[in-house]
Amino acid sequence: MNGWTAAGTALLLCGVAPAACATATGPVSRRVPAQNLTTTLLSLVFLLLAQGFGRTAYVDTALVLSVLGPAGTLLYVRLLADRLAARPPRPRSLLATTALNYVAVPAVVVPLCFATGPGRALVKLLVIGGLLVLGSRTASRAVTAAVTAGHGLAGSAEGMSDG
Amino acid sequence: MAENVPVLIGLVLVAVAGTGAVLVRDPVRQSFVLSLLGLALAALFLLLQAPDVALSQLAVGSALTPLMVLLSVRKVRRKARSERREEHE
Repeated sequence: MNGWTAAGTALLLCGVAPAACATATGPVSRRVPAQNLTTTLLSLVFLLLAQGFGRTAYVDTALVLSVLGPAGTLLYVRLLADRLAARPPRPRSLLATTALNYVAVPAVVVPLCFATGPGRALVKLLVIGGLLVLGSRTASRAVTAAVTAGHGLAGSAEGMSDG
Repeated sequence: MAENVPVLIGLVLVAVAGTGAVLVRDPVRQSFVLSLLGLALAALFLLLQAPDVALSQLAVGSALTPLMVLLSVRKVRRKARSERREEHE
């Protein structure tokens, strides 16, 4: 077991597991941002494990997860928009989750870039990092948009049920 | 022993997520736990050096399973609501 595998395992235990706990419990407003955080951190774990095992092919799983994770979050936001609007997440906790995403991605990707050296693998790593940051940004914006749109819709829905 | 620690952690995560998916009764909450189970399984497959299985598990677990569950819940609720409305009329 080398340092990269140890770092991946530590991130799995101290980062992914708590985020998964937050996803599995509590109101929907907490679950959706936590789900996004879980996929981001798991993608970083996959990157670390790929470096640790010395198999560049393993990076593909991180690439797939960096695309599918935000897609899953958008799915939840779209299909659970009414619940999100009924009990919106606190702006501060949403901001903290997004900030954690933004901090975690460069903290893992930059050392990996130095370890990889110049080449195609470096470009792939940078693309995955960019996708992860972009995905968490899109997810947090979608949650905010669903909450604000939901408030507008909730007013009109009440009007309809009265009529 | 130290070599097996990551695999052990992956196995524990899968066991916890699987038990949770069984114990949770509300389908909407279950969809979150099921997607977590899919992610945990993908991590375990990667730790066991099977990236191809992990890829397909990721595609199914992180997006398709919640989509199916949430769409079914939505359809059932809509049907129940329209039936209730007909009863009122």
